[in-house]
Amino acid sequence: MTNLSVEVSSQIEQPLPGAPDNWKRFFGFSTDHKVIGIQYLVTSFFFFLIGGIFAMIIRGELITPEADLLDRTVYNAMFTMHGTVMLFLWTFPSLVGLSNYLVPLMIGAKDMAFPRLNAVAFWLVPLFGTILMASFFVPGGPSQSGWWAYPPVSLQNPTGNLINGQMLWLLAVAISGVSSIMGAVNFVTTIVRMRAPGMTWFRMPVFVWTVLAAQIIQLFGLPALTAGAVMLLLDLTIGTSFFDPAKGGDPVLFQHFFWFYSHPAVYVIILPIFGVFSEVFPVYARKPLFGYKVVAVSSLIITGLSSIVWVHHMFASGTPGWMRMAFMATTMLISVPTGIKVFAWVATIWGGKLRLNTPMLFALGGLFMFVFAGITGIMLAAVPIDIHVNNTYFVVGHFHYVIYGATVMGLYAAFYHWFPKMTGRMYSEGLGKLHFYLTLIGTNLNFFPMHPLGLQGMPRRVASYDPEFAFWNVIASLGAFLLGMSTLPFILNMIGSWVQGEKAPKNPWRAIGLEWLVSSPPTVENFEALPIVIAPPYGYGKSDPLVANPEALEVIHEPN
Amino acid sequence: MKIRTILTLVMIAIVLAVISLWIGQQAYSWLPPQASAEAQLIDRLFSFLVTLGSFIFLGVAGALTYSIVFQQAGKYDFSDGPHVEGNVPLEIVWTVIPFVLVIWIAGYSYQIYEQMAILGPMEHTHQTTAIAQRASTATGATDMQEQQSTTAIEVYARQWAWEFRYPEQNVTSTELHLPSHQRIKLSLHSEDVLHGFFVPAFRVKQDVIPGRVIDFSFTPIREGQYRLRDSQYSGTYFAAMQADVVVESPDAYQQWLTVSATHPPIAASNQAFDEYHRGQNPLNTGWKTVEPAPPPVVNAPSGQARNL
Amino acid sequence: MNPTEADASPNPPMVTSHTPAIPSVAEHGHDDAGNRMFGFIVFLLSESVIFLSFFTGYIVYKTTTPDWLPSGVSGLAMRDPAINTIVLVSSSLVIYIAERFLHAKNLWGFRAFWLLTMAMGSYFLYGQAVEWRSLPFGFTAGVFGGSFYLLTGFHGLHVLTGVLLQSLMLGRSFIPGNYNKGEFGVAATSLFWHFVDVIWVILFVLIYVWQ
Ligand code: HEA
Ligand code: HEA
Ligand code: CUA
Ligand SMILES: [Cu+2]
Repeated sequence: MTNLSVEVSSQIEQPLPGAPDNWKRFFGFSTDHKVIGIQYLVTSFFFFLIGGIFAMIIRGELITPEADLLDRTVYNAMFTMHGTVMLFLWTFPSLVGLSNYLVPLMIGAKDMAFPRLNAVAFWLVPLFGTILMASFFVPGGPSQSGWWAYPPVSLQNPTGNLINGQMLWLLAVAISGVSSIMGAVNFVTTIVRMRAPGMTWFRMPVFVWTVLAAQIIQLFGLPALTAGAVMLLLDLTIGTSFFDPAKGGDPVLFQHFFWFYSHPAVYVIILPIFGVFSEVFPVYARKPLFGYKVVAVSSLIITGLSSIVWVHHMFASGTPGWMRMAFMATTMLISVPTGIKVFAWVATIWGGKLRLNTPMLFALGGLFMFVFAGITGIMLAAVPIDIHVNNTYFVVGHFHYVIYGATVMGLYAAFYHWFPKMTGRMYSEGLGKLHFYLTLIGTNLNFFPMHPLGLQGMPRRVASYDPEFAFWNVIASLGAFLLGMSTLPFILNMIGSWVQGEKAPKNPWRAIGLEWLVSSPPTVENFEALPIVIAPPYGYGKSDPLVANPEALEVIHEPN
Repeated sequence: MKIRTILTLVMIAIVLAVISLWIGQQAYSWLPPQASAEAQLIDRLFSFLVTLGSFIFLGVAGALTYSIVFQQAGKYDFSDGPHVEGNVPLEIVWTVIPFVLVIWIAGYSYQIYEQMAILGPMEHTHQTTAIAQRASTATGATDMQEQQSTTAIEVYARQWAWEFRYPEQNVTSTELHLPSHQRIKLSLHSEDVLHGFFVPAFRVKQDVIPGRVIDFSFTPIREGQYRLRDSQYSGTYFAAMQADVVVESPDAYQQWLTVSATHPPIAASNQAFDEYHRGQNPLNTGWKTVEPAPPPVVNAPSGQARNL
Repeated sequence: MNPTEADASPNPPMVTSHTPAIPSVAEHGHDDAGNRMFGFIVFLLSESVIFLSFFTGYIVYKTTTPDWLPSGVSGLAMRDPAINTIVLVSSSLVIYIAERFLHAKNLWGFRAFWLLTMAMGSYFLYGQAVEWRSLPFGFTAGVFGGSFYLLTGFHGLHVLTGVLLQSLMLGRSFIPGNYNKGEFGVAATSLFWHFVDVIWVILFVLIYVWQ
């Protein structure tokens, strides 16, 4: 859009003195979705560092074959807490934070549908984070049954105490579920009912579609996990026998409850990242998103399919043959709607005018690694192969490629892309690129070696291993340490730029979207008057206006 | 589309296909030795998937790389790209092609699965001989008339030890001896938590579920010593729960059974038990853990076979 | 390529900018009660999945457990639970009548029937408690005992929540003019009550009828 580039220079001074530039609001009970969004992001990043430190300890132990750095109980606690923290305290909350920040802006709303519920949902995060961390200090240490908490191991309670690591773990996960359900109700209501005039379904940016698709998964998936967790908690605390085979229970039933949610949960994670890709590529390729409607709708198809594939985590768990075959087929089908998206992004980039700044680099890197991970995913879906590699490092490699390679890279892309909007400052491109290259190299060094290891038969969740596996493990550990270091330029960049970065204009990227029509950062209620949307998103290469009332969106305040 | 574009595309596809086929052949070398009939089947499927996967990955990555290298905007070029919103035929093509591929992959996997005739825990059928026969023809071994034992070898998993019982010969062992080129039948038992029976060289794996007896079978075809690993996380000493698997000629196997039966049972060495009772462990945190079961008392503790 | 592909949805009045013919802003932004009702329905749908999971678990246990009933237990008595069921199910009708009264701005009618609903709900809880006390098996008596108390207990908690919500709404009806702005609270409580009823019917069939 050529007419937008003019606005780059015209900058609006901070309106409403005291509000968006008042840093104290980030430390209290605020109901502004933008404040809550940033609270989520910062809190979850803090836990990312904690989960990352656990990962560093894991890789430290695995750099040699013997269990010589840690006691085995500590190693087992480390991977359990690493997985739990990374999923429940980093990916979920950070994506909820991003969605919180962006969805109301993108659909032209002044806030979420239920601002107070929103704030309560956020404050549960530090609460259950604390509970989880507290489990390090109870006798017997934190949960050591892996993030799946499969019984009977999770029911073995050697200390005999009522308050034990496993019990606190279950409590934390339950609170996390409550928080997520609150968020999901809020998002779905907001997206369905709070869209600005003229913001029809097929004018919503794809990010909003993917958030909707992801949050619907939370709504139908989390209750199943909750049901399983309640039963496990009862077994653990008052001695019921739902999952305890010694008393006639069925441990495999728990696996069904668990994966009925936890498989779809991986799409809760990746769908918003698909949204980020769909927002970032058009901006830096200067082309509309290719096949917008199909990309949007395929998100919901993924939501639907995600609910009928969970048994692919249980192929070796005592699953009858017909079930294996049926779930193999449904699992593989997911590659169709996913492929549609991947090809659409490639076509969006193809023939564009690419600008490789930090967000674009992260998004591209994420896309490469997602395709790789998707292909190993399809291999896992093939039952005969999964029989061999199930519970080996091949699986660990697969999911770190999707989760680190695609999701964390995608999150970084989003952080850089929307940083000027959120903070009103520009980040440092140099540090950003350094961060990107370190991350790219670190990720591949760290997680690629896991594939040959898994194929060779190295089981996951082991504190010690046969010496034949040493070579690739050393490389993986070195990669992990590099990856750990890669976060330092990011932290430096974010803090430094927020404090003293160059002031950001409304729309530094010449991007199309409602959030780019208001000042950076936006005022408390986003829009003075609700925008009247008159065009579909992604109008790159045309010069149609997006809204009918661009001047009415903000009251220009005199600088005082 | 112009003829030239089509030709270029076909050329690229051929080059990619050749590279992918080559990578697919490499895939065999990424896996452990093929010590069972199942391994041959699975490796073939794996090689196929690697070929197809490489093709898809190289295709997508190639297109992206081309864009990244050749389609960057100039430093002062602030214009937009062409306003292309979509292309319905193209979108249909890239929906249908993955769909067809999925059917192909799933169909092939199903076929392989059928051939493996893995005895799932829920289906206690006995399709034993077909694959053993195929295996023997595949490897040229013809002396399959060896008496096929009909009773299963019993596998007991507990925290954290493996124990094997040969009920006919009344032999117990902590090392799994198997005759080559016979359909082996196991019955898997767990006494406490979930464990997993996994021999990478055989490419077979099955969770062992307490309270259930699971029939499991496969056909070793290569003599040698392999590793049995616990594949389902089972608590503190999970990593140490491993055992040796010895595949030997039917004669040697029979001999081992006969000799072992004469040995009086003794307590085998057990890593979990040793570590737990090692007194002052320098790394100990004092986090209380489930106490390991005492070492199995068996006729043939592991490591003995080679010293006979 | 078809660059002319336009948005499918009709958007005639907004093509020219600054037309005052804006689709009503209120509908899009400030319909709080509507949003809350929508959100509440979404929540109930999600909540129903918990029950669905418990039901599925129950069916799996019932069909696969060899010794289903604890020793010495021959089955569950039907009579009292059936009476309980009738009371709870008919209370759905009673609460509906209460709502109609409120709609007709007849506050006392509303209060009377509302109170009756609460009484019926409380009777149900009482009946449940009596049944629990008379049973010869406890929570830890195998998977049967576990699932029985889990299902009835979890449902009972919902009934209790319903009654508490109802007393809150009853109290609010004494605030002058409280229901002039809308009846979201009453409508939501009533919806919740119907939900709890439907769940009970399924539960009753599963646990008592299918023995
Ligand atoms: C964000 C997270 C994420 C995502 C997106 C995915 C995506 C996929 N995953 Fe993964 N997965 C995990 C996270 C994720 N996974 C985690 C965390 C675990 C392990 C949990 C644990 O055990 O602790 C796991 C484990 C896991 C297993 C279980 C393995 C085992 O334990 O034995 C399986 C098996 O089927 C699987 C399959 C798949 C498939 C088929 C996809 C598909 O969605 C991928 C689809 C994408 C593509 C295929 C690429 C793009 C498509 C094209 C270019 C079109 C053409 C392609 C074809 C026709 C093939 N995953
Ligand atoms: C979002 C999810 C996520 C993320 C981002 C990661 C990130 C990483 N993970 Fe993993 N991982 C999981 C989710 C995730 N993981 C899950 C679900 C499991 C399964 C658990 C289970 O089996 O139950 C798992 C398991 C797992 C294992 C297998 C353990 C086992 O089976 O025995 C390993 C082993 O290498 C590993 C490694 C790593 C590494 C090296 C990183 C690195 O990317 C981390 C990089 C590090 C940082 C980013 C932090 C760096 C911080 C510093 C250097 C300190 C600086 C400090 C300050 C400034 C205060 N992870
Ligand atoms: Cu032993 Cu798992
Ligand atoms: Cu999955």
